[in-house]
Amino acid sequence: MKLKKVNRKKRDPKIRILAKKITKIPSTTEVKKGILGVEELVIEQTKFSQSTQAPRPYRTHPQDLPYQYDLDRIILQVRDPWWCHAYWEIRTQTLDRLRNELAQEFYQAKRILRVYDVSHIIFDGNNAHRFFDIKLNESVNNWYIDTQGPGRSWCVDLGLLLSSGKFITMVRSNTVHTPLAGPSWITDEEWMIPEDMFARLYGMGFGLGRSSPVGKAWQEGVKHVLSSGVSSGASPVRPLVKEKKFWLVANCELIVYGATLPDAKVTVQGKPINLRRDGSFSLRFALPDGKQVISVKAVSCDGKDERTVTPIVVRETK
Amino acid sequence: MHKGYLCLVLHGHLPFVRHPEHEDFLEEDWLYEAITETYIPLIWVFERLLDDKVDFRLTITLSPTLISMLSDPLLQGRYIKHINRLIELAHKEIERTAFQPEFNSLAVMYLEQFCKARHTFERYNHNIVNAFKAFQDLGKLEIVTCAATHGYLPLMDVCRESVRAQVKVAVAHYKSVFGRRPIGIWLPECGYHPGHDEILKEAGIRYFFSDSHGVLHGSPRPKYGVFAPVYCKGTHVACFGRDLESSRQVWSSVEGYPGDHNYREFYRDIGFDLEYDYIRQYIHPDGVRINTGIKYYRITGGTNHKEVYVPRWAQEKAAEQAGNFMFNRQKQVEYLYDFMKRKPIIVSPYDAELFGHWWYEGPLWLDFLIRKIVFDQDEIRLITASEYLIENPRNQLISPSLSSWGWKGYSEMWLQGANDWIYRHLHVASERMTELVRGFPSVNGLLKRALNQALRELLLAQSSDWAFIMGTGTHTSYAVRRTKEHLLRFTRLYEDIKSNSIDEGWLSDIEYKDNIFPQIDYRVHQ
Repeated sequence: MKLKKVNRKKRDPKIRILAKKITKIPSTTEVKKGILGVEELVIEQTKFSQSTQAPRPYRTHPQDLPYQYDLDRIILQVRDPWWCHAYWEIRTQTLDRLRNELAQEFYQAKRILRVYDVSHIIFDGNNAHRFFDIKLNESVNNWYIDTQGPGRSWCVDLGLLLSSGKFITMVRSNTVHTPLAGPSWITDEEWMIPEDMFARLYGMGFGLGRSSPVGKAWQEGVKHVLSSGVSSGASPVRPLVKEKKFWLVANCELIVYGATLPDAKVTVQGKPINLRRDGSFSLRFALPDGKQVISVKAVSCDGKDERTVTPIVVRETK
Repeated sequence: MHKGYLCLVLHGHLPFVRHPEHEDFLEEDWLYEAITETYIPLIWVFERLLDDKVDFRLTITLSPTLISMLSDPLLQGRYIKHINRLIELAHKEIERTAFQPEFNSLAVMYLEQFCKARHTFERYNHNIVNAFKAFQDLGKLEIVTCAATHGYLPLMDVCRESVRAQVKVAVAHYKSVFGRRPIGIWLPECGYHPGHDEILKEAGIRYFFSDSHGVLHGSPRPKYGVFAPVYCKGTHVACFGRDLESSRQVWSSVEGYPGDHNYREFYRDIGFDLEYDYIRQYIHPDGVRINTGIKYYRITGGTNHKEVYVPRWAQEKAAEQAGNFMFNRQKQVEYLYDFMKRKPIIVSPYDAELFGHWWYEGPLWLDFLIRKIVFDQDEIRLITASEYLIENPRNQLISPSLSSWGWKGYSEMWLQGANDWIYRHLHVASERMTELVRGFPSVNGLLKRALNQALRELLLAQSSDWAFIMGTGTHTSYAVRRTKEHLLRFTRLYEDIKSNSIDEGWLSDIEYKDNIFPQIDYRVHQ
């Protein structure tokens, strides 16, 4: 008989990882956008939960993806009502051509993203409502653009701004449309609803309850949802109590083992157990505090012989 | 006389993870755990309801990747191995806890649950999709489809051919599995981009779900908020908006049900708690500790001190909370009915894996809730979206807004510093696929196989799960590998097809590994 010390981990590493992640995510947020969908994120993540990365061979060792595809292109995508993302690539030939054409001017030119507001028009390069420029470092190949314009259409040129103020477009993006950040101001004659009634339904749809602020600006209403503790701080992962760094867990398990004739019947505390082929056995128990009387009884196969051994184990934890 | 409807939706999805070339593969456990903890317990709920002649209605998504894995003989065989190992462990646990009756009775509970799960799995001939199909055929369950590999469609909008392929492959797959067309779709991550309703219409889909602001921020203003569906302008595909109040009651840990102190603690698993030598053969073969599914503690409170789980208390709590949920819906419906002068529909969608896997008592809560709604009250009726549309065909026409149910409500979860690099590759691959379809409108033999496989690889690379995992910032290497692997396989196929030099041996190998959608037709990508 031997006593085994059992090391129990107090916290599994995943808890720490999740906790770290939850605190990490809101910190990367843009201040004014608030948070929706944190619960969904965390629950979805538990589907993929794993303790730690297991080292193992992968089925292939892919060579890497190309850095670019020998294209002149810029693609614009909507991230949310305020922000768009653009990524691009320019072929070296295109840059060489511009370098030849512009000579010295090429080196003084600034690389910029020109962001056009092209809402409700067919953009021809000159008829944008307005535009703004973002100065780029030569090495970047993508950019998050703060349009500050929900419910508008956007198109982006990547180009060179010469010292003369002349702008040369290298590539033009697709047009995208940012969604509204609140309800539409367009109403439907056939499906008319008074303003205050819609406000109430709107609040309810966001789970604000029946006493939602009626008549408040829409934006306020959304902000309330987005910034309330409910969505931003909350997640189905229970907040973990920070423990002091140093900790210890100690536990005991008990192994009872022995052997008899392979065809004997053995009971431990009155319950029959199975023997290995050679007649040996071992049993493992979690050992709580207190006294355990563990009677081990063997009866020969013909029922004539009988032996009992009764270890008594006391555990006391101080 | 009822005054409104409740539409419960469970979204079941896991990405396609199947590695025949490895004996054991950690990420395959996602499926095995979900089978034991979620899908089979849900089947038990539905079977019990049927046995008791409860006339229930529930909507469930089974994503095409999930169906493909559940129907795959290799994974089915591995599940049997997995559950047998768990049963063996439960037996050992019963022995080990002999001096601790409160743990011992839990070990017995797990043993019974695992044995019953294996029995259920065998009863449906190792393919539990059969169970869900049977419930649908009985008219109790409505199974909606999803995009083929759960691609996040708003960030695929620059290549609508891929959006079309995601939808059409899913629809064809659904038909081959369930013998009928899907009426509805769960857009992956509830991600709706204006205009995608045209593609849904083409595919014969009548409705989809969106998050609240998809409807609320639509134009013109939706007269009934999210409490009635709207038709998309131009296509008349119906859009049902999520009700956040009922969602939050279940999702949130602060007000939400799953955080109750009597419920089982997800994070205290014997895979981490027990002595290493003892647990070693039930964790990962590399010796990495993982969850086994045997968990003995209840949430207890806000500290790391945990008390032993008491099933009876948890059951009582689940019943109480089911009553609370119903009561809140009754009040909500009564109020809305007076207000709207029309029967409101409350759409409450949840990740299916929340039930059972994360929230152990979730299936039981659902069982209680459904019974209470059917027997104990008259205000609310359970309904599916398609039944609702038959009873209430007249709905407002609006253009819903771009939206998702992901982090911050739009596309940021899948478009941020950690994962934005994938789009320049995915979009080029989409364009190349379109180019191939145009270049080879009708082919046979080896070339056709290569083209079909190219589409499979593209679809697999597009799974939103990879970008999601990269976005969470932990354990990202598998997600990065999968994205690259499928893109590289696609690229090689593209180049081989263009140069007329298809390597049949290699093609056969990736057909064997990425064997999803055997009936795929590459020409849907246009």
